[in-house]
Amino acid sequence: MTRPVHPGSAYQPTQLLWPMMWLVLLVVVVLVIPHAQGLFQWLAPEAREVIYQRAAFTQLLGRHLLVVGAAALMTITLGVLAGVVVTRQWGRDFLPLVAQVASLGQTFPPVAVLALAVPALGFGTVPIIVALVLYGLLPIVRNTIAGLKGVDPAVVSAAYGMGMTPGQILRQVELPLAAPVILAGIRTSVTINIATAALGATVGASNLGDPIIAGIVNANNAYIVQGAMVIALLAVSVDSMFEVFQRRLRSRTP
Amino acid sequence: MPFTDAPPTGVQAWIKGRPNGVMMVLAIVMLAALWGLDSVSVAANRIVAGSGHASWEAFGWVGVALASLPLLLVLLLAWAPTSSRLNLLLQLGAIILLLILMPVGLVVASHTLIDPQLPQARLSAGAAFWVVLFCAMLALVELRLRLALPRLWIALVMLGVALLWWLCASLWLDRLALVQEFQAREAAFWDALREHLAMVSIAVGVSIVLGIILALLIRRYRGSQRAAFALLNFFQTIPSLALFGLLLAPLAWISANVPFAANLGIQGIGYTPALLALVIYSLLPMVRNTFVALEAVSPDVLDAATGMGMYPSQRFWQVRVPLALPILLEGIRITAVQAIGLTAVAALIGAGGLGAFIFQGLGQAAMDMVLLGALPILLIALIVDSGLGALGEALRQGASDD
Amino acid sequence: MIELRDVSKFFDQTPAVEALTLSIPKGKFCALVGTSGCGKSTTLRMINRLLTHTRGQIELDGQSIDAYDPVLLRRRIGYVIQNTGLFPHWNVARNIGLVPRLLKWPTAQVNQRVEELMALLGLPVNEFAHKYPHQLSGGQAQRVGVARALAADPDILLMDEPFGALDPITREKLQEMLMQLQARLHKTIVFVTHDMDEALRLADKLVVMRDGRIVQQGTPLSLLQKPSDAFVDSLLGGLERGLKQASLTRVKDHMVPPGAHLAAPRVTTEQTLRQALSLMLRDQCERLTVVDPQDEPVGELSLDRLVKEAFHPKERPRDD
Repeated sequence: MTRPVHPGSAYQPTQLLWPMMWLVLLVVVVLVIPHAQGLFQWLAPEAREVIYQRAAFTQLLGRHLLVVGAAALMTITLGVLAGVVVTRQWGRDFLPLVAQVASLGQTFPPVAVLALAVPALGFGTVPIIVALVLYGLLPIVRNTIAGLKGVDPAVVSAAYGMGMTPGQILRQVELPLAAPVILAGIRTSVTINIATAALGATVGASNLGDPIIAGIVNANNAYIVQGAMVIALLAVSVDSMFEVFQRRLRSRTP
Repeated sequence: MPFTDAPPTGVQAWIKGRPNGVMMVLAIVMLAALWGLDSVSVAANRIVAGSGHASWEAFGWVGVALASLPLLLVLLLAWAPTSSRLNLLLQLGAIILLLILMPVGLVVASHTLIDPQLPQARLSAGAAFWVVLFCAMLALVELRLRLALPRLWIALVMLGVALLWWLCASLWLDRLALVQEFQAREAAFWDALREHLAMVSIAVGVSIVLGIILALLIRRYRGSQRAAFALLNFFQTIPSLALFGLLLAPLAWISANVPFAANLGIQGIGYTPALLALVIYSLLPMVRNTFVALEAVSPDVLDAATGMGMYPSQRFWQVRVPLALPILLEGIRITAVQAIGLTAVAALIGAGGLGAFIFQGLGQAAMDMVLLGALPILLIALIVDSGLGALGEALRQGASDD
Repeated sequence: MIELRDVSKFFDQTPAVEALTLSIPKGKFCALVGTSGCGKSTTLRMINRLLTHTRGQIELDGQSIDAYDPVLLRRRIGYVIQNTGLFPHWNVARNIGLVPRLLKWPTAQVNQRVEELMALLGLPVNEFAHKYPHQLSGGQAQRVGVARALAADPDILLMDEPFGALDPITREKLQEMLMQLQARLHKTIVFVTHDMDEALRLADKLVVMRDGRIVQQGTPLSLLQKPSDAFVDSLLGGLERGLKQASLTRVKDHMVPPGAHLAAPRVTTEQTLRQALSLMLRDQCERLTVVDPQDEPVGELSLDRLVKEAFHPKERPRDD
């Protein structure tokens, strides 16, 4: 009888409709592009080659996801950890600075951060991941702090009064209650990172930004449209998945 | 016991009479960078990779000791458990001294390390330099918060330091790579800056007007609210590079096939798709904040205004607008900062602006050219952000005084 | 048995509680009363070590609380606060079962205990077990709060203005419920409130605090009879004090054997003097007939006698 049942979390298949639709569209587009010679010839009549050939789109998509995924894994771990540390008693000295930097840092344009990472780290995938991590940390840290500080102090006080240990309170009370806000930060971070990773093509990474850059350089509109479509669909699919997560999380708490 | 002993109030939640861990960490990191990392690098010309030089090679032992002094002072002051105002002000002074010493150090390095016989040889700031600069900025933020200094105060200090740097750069640092890049394309730089600012202003201006119109329309036709915001959010989600690309192809087609449009200057590459994309991106924050601003006015206040006998128009202009203005301004701030960054990306599709230096520099592997584009963009973003932020704060206070 | 000896608490340099000495016998209901900021909540939170006292000794059953691990100590002490502090992401049943689960009771036993407590506090299991705190009214939520505090059957219950945020009608209902619970469970209760009527109604022992110090302590009646200074007097209601005392006194303690001529208006033995006085004023009479629950006349009450004797009762009810 004490099994937790969340009345709001009743499984609603319609919620998954949008992400599934975008995902299917993404897969279809990636698979169809290599065979849509005619369509793209019409888009770029003068071009000799209208299908981007340097790498398969499945491969580009895979690399893009890998970079964004690796960065997301690191940002989430580091960001939540940092947010937790500065809201503990012993880390509280760092709270004002970290909170300020997390909000100030978001005024830095991602492209500038990426550009600055190259002189420091060289060309390739590593500087991109570092730039993505650095930039992606900010929204997560900021939202983790906001989420943890937003937890009703009476609830935390009661938790202490009931004899929960600080670790139990963090895991069972504070983090679950802050989860919707933290997730919103992760969503922002990942969305920005998908876009910034595409710019990585200009610093020597091979991913979905590549066809666009190649298209711009060679004045080949077909390449541009191919790359743009796949990135846009990827971003929208991921974003709508987060939307579903968020809605399910929110339905648990008032 | 966290939270219970003294529930944290606002951001200011330091414990009195305890060593200042933040400043200690920053001072130690700066010292470690100063002693352990390369502070400058010297390259024979623009393209070859530079060779790094440690601090003592660049500034001599005396110079390193001199630079360490303010840091040791900060470390000592931060460790002392009395956190009186004087202590914090002394730390602030030490950090400012350090910021003043930094360009002087570069001048010294350019004299000791650069062979005057090699006119192409150039000096670049190394890892230690950037780490110390970054940590010094963090230290300034921390001290400003602790001392509860007004933004303006610190802005003036920064302005003074910046002027000093400018002086050093223009008088004695002609060997610094960044300065050389700048001198080589001074005219282009100012043009790019103008273009960048013009694009941002046009995009923000257009989106303010469009945003307010759209927000009022959404308020008028409530049924459209969900769909409208979903659509704006959808656009916001699309990566900038992709949106620029998606706009590029159809615009190119239009300019190729509709002579009238081509005469108007509409073309695939250039500022047309860039401006279009900038406005599309700017719409979500503008519309959202305008909408929230108009909604956020408490119904009680409006009720009271009506009860006092105000006409709807009076109520709108005298109650709603003044109360909504700070939130609106926040929307403009977000929009402007976002547009500054996106305009840099727009350089990829030939829209010009400071981003052009970044992408050209990346293409030529000329890192100092990248800096010439990226640093001003960072600075503009910071200035616009803090300027509009301060204005919003002032408006908010004005509103609460009434 | 809770003992505080010469306890002080300083926040930075400012004292919140100073040289407080207080003893609460086992099974008694002690109310800490005072204006806000007088240190009453601080005192309460020192007992379960949510705050650490700066000086002095706090003992539970003769054992200093410093000897316990604070976390384990708190699991043995029930704690109820004003805004309930229920976990918003847990349903009612899970909230109530918190401490037993912390104590690693077997699941079946936890479930049984939760059902028991919900029955005890008048919360039908089928209706409430799966509700979330935001779906409850203020009164229901605080019932859950009390149930949660009682879950592991602690000997001591600390209550920090538990009914302060409730509307007067709900508050009275919950006070009634608490009195009934206490009559059955005999917990040692420390109850912080700024509502003197609530304290007078519930407490065996009243402690009035001001500026971190105890101004006066004793039974409700002893305070009403002899407030130590003007501050306590004003807290106790000043001019209303007489009526308040009357509401703490039963009719049976002031009646005399019935005379030959019975007055028409009747009161029962268990009603309060305050109600009797109200009846006299309403029915414009000076004498009342006292009846037992079977409606048999057992005595009478006269205004004349009440006025002369009320402040010097022959015996004091609910005293120790």
